[in-house]
Amino acid sequence: MTTMQKIRDIFSIGKRSASCHGEGLSLTEDGLKKVGIVGTPNVGKSVIFNCLTGAYVTVSNYPGTTVNVSRGKASIQGEEFEVMDTPGMYSLMPITEEERVARTMLLAEKPDVILHVVDARNLDRMLPLTMQLIEAGLPTMLDLNMMDETEAAGIEININKLEQELGIPVVATVATNGRGIETLKKRLVEYVRNQHCA
Amino acid sequence: MLKYDEPLESALNSLVNLLKADYGISRRSVGLLLLQGDPDIEKRVREQEAAVYESIQEIISQASQSYNQPLSYIIALRRQQEVKRLLSTVVTSREKTRRGFAERLSRAMMHPVTGTIILLIVLYFGLYQFVGVLGAGTLVGFIEGTVFGEWINPWLTQLITSLIPWKVFQDLFIGKYGIITLGFTYAFALILPIVSTFFIVFSIIEDSGYLPRLAMLIDRIFKTIGLSGRAVIPMVLGFGCDTMATIVTRTQETKRERVITTLLLALAIPCSAQLGVIFAILSGNTRALLIWAGVTALVFLLVGYLAAKVIPGRKASFYMEVPPLRLPKLSNIFVKTYTRLQWYFLEVFPIFVLASFLLWLGDLTGLLDLVTGWIKPLVEFIGLPPETAVVFLYGWFRRDFGAAGLYNLNNSGVLVGIPLVVAAVTLTLFIPCVAQFSVMLKERGVKTALAIALFVFPFAFFVGFILNWVLTALRVSL
Repeated sequence: MTTMQKIRDIFSIGKRSASCHGEGLSLTEDGLKKVGIVGTPNVGKSVIFNCLTGAYVTVSNYPGTTVNVSRGKASIQGEEFEVMDTPGMYSLMPITEEERVARTMLLAEKPDVILHVVDARNLDRMLPLTMQLIEAGLPTMLDLNMMDETEAAGIEININKLEQELGIPVVATVATNGRGIETLKKRLVEYVRNQHCA
Repeated sequence: MLKYDEPLESALNSLVNLLKADYGISRRSVGLLLLQGDPDIEKRVREQEAAVYESIQEIISQASQSYNQPLSYIIALRRQQEVKRLLSTVVTSREKTRRGFAERLSRAMMHPVTGTIILLIVLYFGLYQFVGVLGAGTLVGFIEGTVFGEWINPWLTQLITSLIPWKVFQDLFIGKYGIITLGFTYAFALILPIVSTFFIVFSIIEDSGYLPRLAMLIDRIFKTIGLSGRAVIPMVLGFGCDTMATIVTRTQETKRERVITTLLLALAIPCSAQLGVIFAILSGNTRALLIWAGVTALVFLLVGYLAAKVIPGRKASFYMEVPPLRLPKLSNIFVKTYTRLQWYFLEVFPIFVLASFLLWLGDLTGLLDLVTGWIKPLVEFIGLPPETAVVFLYGWFRRDFGAAGLYNLNNSGVLVGIPLVVAAVTLTLFIPCVAQFSVMLKERGVKTALAIALFVFPFAFFVGFILNWVLTALRVSL
């Protein structure tokens, strides 16, 4: 990221929702909507990032591969997005340096959508963060990832019910083979549009 | 909106009413973070709400006095409760009690006895056989000996000699420190095959989910040296490249842990190129290989243990998600190995060329003789032939460059027997290379980075000296 961009990002703080009155879709300073991907380590954030942007971020089967925020561009239904992949975070209150990096992204960049990616097999350990994101008033969307392994483990999730209970959009994906990614993209765009002109 | 218990909920509401500034998240959330004692948020609130900060503090301390447990615990518990209630209406689970092969293997990997056996098997086949014997032995032998030695270098030598009439400039390309004969050859013929085979093995291990299980297995040993299992990931990455691994120490929880890991990475973890070369030159000699491995491991544990005693700070707790074991996908391994290799090579190659150029310049101006003249007494002090001095200079440019130099000295018969083992150990421990040191400066700060370098440098020679003395005194035949 160049210094100029950094400066612009700093100045764009707080401007996100300012221009939503009658102007239709608002844009950030560089003209892109921002999607921030968050979640505990090793739930597939980077794979989702790769799916959305087509860029390549090293993905591995152990926690803690991403230590910086990676950025990429995605074009979904003609809409351009800046997608940010963050290091893993367990809660809104950071303990390690990488969690701090993730939270700083949330606070300073004000993404238009926060995509919380979770391991669908362990919702009991994953949803507390979702609740904190909702509590914080952040525009959150939940992605139940690893649905194949979840189904294999004999776990069934009523997604409509979960959506109602939480009051945010919920989608199911298997990022490693692309299942549900199209739906995810569709819902992402819908969410941004509705949110801006609600 | 999730409601908390009384009196916590009332305290939270009073906080929300006092907060006026924009924090990028809801005031309710800021209030909760304050109650949990988040230092960053506290700092921001103190700056933004100076007028009412005392009242804020008062509310927080009153709330925390109403509970026996810390507020962060009470809040986490309430959230957990709510999630449990929610899930009971959303999730149905058909209990599967049958334990598959993957589950049994997973347990075996973390069990102290079977886990150690599996680790040894992985090390033997993955590192020793694949990287050491196949990569650094067979592949390097072919590419360095045949492809470069018999085809490329003689052809280029002829070409350059016919193109450039001046000996000095011929030497820049094809001399002792020539860009082609030294830089290119080391990079393509020595480092590339070794690092490629290593990255293939590493990608397979990484994708299978073995690393977190290894972390669990080693956690106990690491506790005694003041580290937690979390340190396993940077350490294992260190076997790939210590520079990259030093960046990954960010995943560690405490500053103390990060300092210890950085120190151990700089000192006792050889990078893949070093490891491959050392395997290759010691592979014919099991005893020498065991001495090298034993001394390095001993140094690792001893320095780790002492560092844990000396460096102040909080001990780390360890908690890591253990992902499922998966059969790695071939395409994924290919892409990963390729991207890593690309990253590594782009970083390494210019440095090798630059180093060759500087060495050529040094040779020309006599500066090289001057510097190696300073290193020579040190090298002779630990019982090594004077020709080794320049290899230590290589090692300073980059660890892998030094390792490649060691390979050549062994090949030409200069370095054999006890001095070979001593050189291998000393070069493994020897200072972090320029790249690693610059990352250390960035991640740990000038003071810590300098302290580590100033410790590692004399210590490496000290260990070399002791090892040489012991091996000579015992008349160990190698």
